[in-house]
Amino acid sequence: ANRGGKQKKGNVTSEQEEEEQPLQAVLVADSFNRRFFPISKDQPRALLPLGNVAMIDYTLEFLTSTGVQETFVFCCWMSNKIKDHLLKSKWCRPTSPNVVHIITSDLYRSLGDVLRDVDAKNLVRNDFILVYGDVVSNIDVSQALQEHRHRRKVDKNISVMTMVFKESSPGHKSRCEEDDVIVAMDSKSKRVLHYQKTQGLKKLQFPMNIFQHGSDEFEIRHDLLDCHISICSPQVAELFTDNFDYQTRNDFVRGILVNEEILGNQIHLYVTQDGYGARVSNLQMYDSVSSDMVRRWVYPLTPEANFTDQQGQGCTHSRHNVYRGAEVSLGHGSQMEENVLIGRDTSIGANCHISNSVIGNNCTIGDNVVLDRAHMWNNVHISSNVEIHQSVVCDGAVVKEAVRLNKQCVLAYNVVIGPNLSLPEGTVVSMHHPEEEEEDDDDEFLSDDQEVGHTFNPAEVGPEGKGYIWKASMNDTEDEELAQCLWGRPLSKQNVCKVVSFQLEVLGTLQRGLEENIVCDNLVLEINSLKYAYNITLKEVMQILTRVVLEYPFQQQGTQLTTLQYTGSLLPLLKTWSPVFKNYIKRAQDHLDCLSAVEELFLEQDTHQTAMVKVLMKMYQLEILEEEAILKWFSTGATNDKSRQLRKNQGLQKFIQWLKEAEDESSEEGE
Amino acid sequence: MPGADKEADLTERIEAFLADLKRGGCGTGPIRGSGETARETTALLRKVTAQARWSSAGDLMEIIRKEGRRMTAAQPSETTVGNMVLRVLKIIREEYARSRGSSEETDQQESLHKLLTSGGLSDENFRQHYVHLKANVIEAINELLTELEGTTDNIAMQALEHIHSNEVIMTVGRSRTVEAFLKDAARKRKFHVIVAECAPFCQGHEMATNLSKASIETTVIADAAIFAVMSRVNKVIIGTQTVLANGGLRAVNGTHTVALAARHHSTPLIVCAPMFKLSPQFPNEEDTFHKFVSPHEVLPFTEGEILSKVNVHCPVFDYVPPELITLFISNIGGNAPSYIYRLMSELYHPEDHDL
Repeated sequence: ANRGGKQKKGNVTSEQEEEEQPLQAVLVADSFNRRFFPISKDQPRALLPLGNVAMIDYTLEFLTSTGVQETFVFCCWMSNKIKDHLLKSKWCRPTSPNVVHIITSDLYRSLGDVLRDVDAKNLVRNDFILVYGDVVSNIDVSQALQEHRHRRKVDKNISVMTMVFKESSPGHKSRCEEDDVIVAMDSKSKRVLHYQKTQGLKKLQFPMNIFQHGSDEFEIRHDLLDCHISICSPQVAELFTDNFDYQTRNDFVRGILVNEEILGNQIHLYVTQDGYGARVSNLQMYDSVSSDMVRRWVYPLTPEANFTDQQGQGCTHSRHNVYRGAEVSLGHGSQMEENVLIGRDTSIGANCHISNSVIGNNCTIGDNVVLDRAHMWNNVHISSNVEIHQSVVCDGAVVKEAVRLNKQCVLAYNVVIGPNLSLPEGTVVSMHHPEEEEEDDDDEFLSDDQEVGHTFNPAEVGPEGKGYIWKASMNDTEDEELAQCLWGRPLSKQNVCKVVSFQLEVLGTLQRGLEENIVCDNLVLEINSLKYAYNITLKEVMQILTRVVLEYPFQQQGTQLTTLQYTGSLLPLLKTWSPVFKNYIKRAQDHLDCLSAVEELFLEQDTHQTAMVKVLMKMYQLEILEEEAILKWFSTGATNDKSRQLRKNQGLQKFIQWLKEAEDESSEEGE
Repeated sequence: MPGADKEADLTERIEAFLADLKRGGCGTGPIRGSGETARETTALLRKVTAQARWSSAGDLMEIIRKEGRRMTAAQPSETTVGNMVLRVLKIIREEYARSRGSSEETDQQESLHKLLTSGGLSDENFRQHYVHLKANVIEAINELLTELEGTTDNIAMQALEHIHSNEVIMTVGRSRTVEAFLKDAARKRKFHVIVAECAPFCQGHEMATNLSKASIETTVIADAAIFAVMSRVNKVIIGTQTVLANGGLRAVNGTHTVALAARHHSTPLIVCAPMFKLSPQFPNEEDTFHKFVSPHEVLPFTEGEILSKVNVHCPVFDYVPPELITLFISNIGGNAPSYIYRLMSELYHPEDHDL
């Protein structure tokens, strides 16, 4: 590892050591994941512009304003670019109150590696602040720091880390779905008792023993936003060295909490109500942090403050949060509605509507352009009649005439799109071919089986377009990292995905079972394990199972089957799989659920409604369904016209009649 | 080389001051009072005068202008900084003129005749070198500093002329000057102060605590009650952030409400403002006129979903037009709003108005 910019200024340190040690910070200017791919293929994440200022500048300003005097910046991916940027910035001027040391190495693979290196090089002497290079914050951590130091003094170094959280209720747009945490803490001492990422789970478990010791007041909080700012004692670095398996802060926190009894280390929490702190961990967060910044939540880190002291970077702020840089020209009839930031030397044509957008320096925008929640970086060219909604357009990209970018599109560096094209929601276009990276990296998660030729596809990027579409791989949800998902995906959508993929898996299992003659018990086992893998309720399993079985003939032989053919192929199948059904359909409610699934399917396949009676009959004969359940379903289940219509089916009426008679008979026999 | 070291030290001081200005005022107004900012700026400019390299008054003015531009850009709403830069520039002009022997005094008087006869404003180039100029300028800046030290006391001294026994006085928010003013009067007289809390920052609470500590009978009211209470009030005494060139105010928001209510009830409105708050700025729709801070105080961040659906603004200042103001009390005495332009021309040189 080479150390750049390591000219320690003797006079500065000696001056400040008179009272106490200078406050140090470790800034990790690497995310160690690929959430911003393919954008971060050209530019490291810390240098991506947020409100026309590189993200790392926000982090450094935050550190400097809290009184940090020495910062170690650790970079790995594209370390040269970060280094160049920092050397040019005001942080490396001799007058800077915050001495920045840049440490680069290609060997860092995680936060753990960085902190082990901190320990190996013996860089920190005292409590330090640990942040990522993409944290935007104006929180005054001096209060937290004081509490931390006080705890360390009183409790003989038991507390090793204080994590800074911001209060924000669930549903806030700046809450990152992946960082959603549930924390159990001691109300008095602010000690963390339990820390768990929710990851969309509905049920969470807390070990009982956390409530048994010590204090009598606990808080279980879900209204916390992780700012990714932590105050660490030097022990943290040592602990990372001792435990080679710690990769992330999450590992560390969990490790400490699990081993609390043995090692006696504790973690504390600092919850702030004012101030702002968030980490730009995906594009969803990028979008919301950027809009928060434009709406002045991060005051005094506002665009017009020009805190980086760069020449010509200043802009003015006027009503409705409209910021304009120097030499901005606006065409006749164009409107900057609200929350708009426009960089210097940008020219905008006539009759444009711009709202909630950030536009970089040296951009040209044509006439009749509509921009809403667009994030355009520098040197972007937009032709006339373009519409952009909630998308990111990187440096040097060109959007030709009459292009429409729907929500959550990303145009990476130097891409050309159009003319006359509408990109569907969530399209990612990059000049890098999605496959080229498999060559330079082996631990790849992008399992794209689709072959894309190494020429630009005019159907995808337009006749004059340049760039390759990156698949927004929706099927990779098993990949728990959600690695490809640039925009953090809302949870509900994920749920739908889950059900669909579960259905496919069940179908596959049954198919295989039929081909390879697998015993039904094993099929049940497989379906059960799938159920756990996808976290699906029993009710859903049954409905999906019913649906898959009933659709099976269509799947195999196409949808043009006659009713006779359909029943002919379905009835033997029902017989084969009846043990599977019986395993899932046990309680009375299960019967009704199963019947409603049958009904739902036949409502969709209305040409085959006559087959329904046969199916029900078969299921009754196979003792999958009980007569009482069928009768109950028939009498009460009708909720809308269609299902009432269905119940008027002659065959069905007869079947029910027959069932009733059979019941009467059996009851008579019983007497 | 000691010279280089000194210069480095100087730039470091300036940078620190700039950074402070930029970060200053996270909502509740500047951490320091504007008096302190004024003194700090002047002290810094004195340091610049003493340590920067310059050979003639022109050079020095150029340096001061350059630094002044940066300082004002750092926090445009903090006009005190710019005012102090202008004062120092004026001092340099005067000292230069004195060294040259011509009396700036007569030069300064703008008679109608002079306005008509003189072509440009001034054809002075400030290029001549004078040995004692530096010492003289520093001496004059020191005088300015002494003047700044005493401003609050000078204003407070006039309190007994304006506050009488058993009066009911209303004020809004917190102003250090008004606080000193009221406390001074309380030494001799008994009166009742009503403090409007001045939401969303509620500086009024702090003001009320401080006043009641000085055993002044104090009542805090919500801003909405200002109009209702105004009928009982004998006098409104407020502070301000800036006095504009037309005699209007840029004051903490809520002040305009108070001023209008006072006008409705014909209650005199007195503004305690030291001379250093006098700014050559006019109230136009300039972008830097307003200051918007984090909307946190208006709608807390914890609100959740609603925040993505609404725009929340939190402006800090109100503009109060001059016709609503009865009297200004500055450290050199009481003045009507219509006289402000005159004071302005005495304090600042017209050529310096924009840096």
